[in-house]
Amino acid sequence: MVGRKKTKDVVLTAVWGENPVFRQILGICSALAVTNLVLNTMVMGAAVIFTTALSGFTVSLLRKYTPRIIRMMVEVLIIAFYVILFDQALKAYWPDMSGNLGPYVGLIITNCIIMGRAEAFANNNPPLLSFVDGFSSGAGYSLVLICVAVVRELLGMGSLMGIPVPFFSSALWDRWIIMVMPPGAFFTLAVIVWLARTMQKDTEEKKTKGSK
Amino acid sequence: MSLKDRAWFPIVYMFGITLLLSTILIIFGTLTRKRVKENETVAFERAVLEALPIDLPAAVTPNQIHSIYVSDIREANDSSAGALRYVKEDTLKGFALPLEGPGFWAPIKGVIGIEPDGLTITGIAFYEQNETPGLGGEITKSTFRDQFKGKKIAETETPLQIRNPSEALDGSSVHAITGATQTSNRLAAFLNAYLLEWRKQRMDRKW
Repeated sequence: MVGRKKTKDVVLTAVWGENPVFRQILGICSALAVTNLVLNTMVMGAAVIFTTALSGFTVSLLRKYTPRIIRMMVEVLIIAFYVILFDQALKAYWPDMSGNLGPYVGLIITNCIIMGRAEAFANNNPPLLSFVDGFSSGAGYSLVLICVAVVRELLGMGSLMGIPVPFFSSALWDRWIIMVMPPGAFFTLAVIVWLARTMQKDTEEKKTKGSK
Repeated sequence: MSLKDRAWFPIVYMFGITLLLSTILIIFGTLTRKRVKENETVAFERAVLEALPIDLPAAVTPNQIHSIYVSDIREANDSSAGALRYVKEDTLKGFALPLEGPGFWAPIKGVIGIEPDGLTITGIAFYEQNETPGLGGEITKSTFRDQFKGKKIAETETPLQIRNPSEALDGSSVHAITGATQTSNRLAAFLNAYLLEWRKQRMDRKW
């Protein structure tokens, strides 16, 4: 059984301390591409959580049997399996969203967060803990993406989840078209990384002072 | 020597895993194939109805769309030059010409509706596109699409012009999304190619 303390550590590290996007700068490609509408971003986040959690679980389940020389091939295969499953389900049951996300669901296969977690964590840890780690890494990724998407949709389109926001959707607000375009994602992501790192620095300093 | 150390083990292992996972995917794919196909068909049918335009209730179900389509839309024939025909009570009510061509990011597929006179446009609708949301993606919004209603297919090399928003309009032109939206240029290119071809085929038919 997985200790509660250990689980909590894994979750906190993945979501905040070693957040894949703003600490490890992984998964940036999709962070830039699918963050112009909040709803799209949430579905993308769900897809990544689904894949990291289940692929972590599966890789860990097989870790004692998989020969080391082919382990990366096996990992990619498992990741691709879950991504295709999600993509196919979206095509069948939510065709509009599948159209919105275009090729980006399929491209989750190449998202370095997932491969990174499989290599760094699932290979050496029990299945349930790997599931939690994958889930949290996916959640950490989604959290940052949703922050980016909220800023971009609000400033660029004047709406949130497609619902017009007062003031921002009125004539008083001149929509920032650049926010909808890829450069808007660069600016927003940079500011969010900066803010998060500044906050982390404070806690780090407090910690070291406290221990002295 | 354990099983895992044998030279052939990785090959067999990889083969086994691949076989297992692909089998699951094939089964899942087969189970959802019919649904995916239906979704694509309904998206196309909806675009045809919106272009003509046939008014649809706000909360229309895929089944309703399909039944309206089946009852009112007929296949293309010689005189329609590749366009679907909208027939109600044995009278021709309009044409729906399917279009497709390259967009800025990915192919754009749509339908343009034309009155029985073969000249007046009734509407335009898109059922597949992947343009930038908020910019090129605006082609699916009513602000852009409503402009086409009532425009005439001109007897020129560009039967329907998409002009810069700062320019004046006439009976055969609409405004682009912005002055610098590539989507508008590419749409104008293939839309005009289709309209030219359609006009030519119908002319040939008359003589």
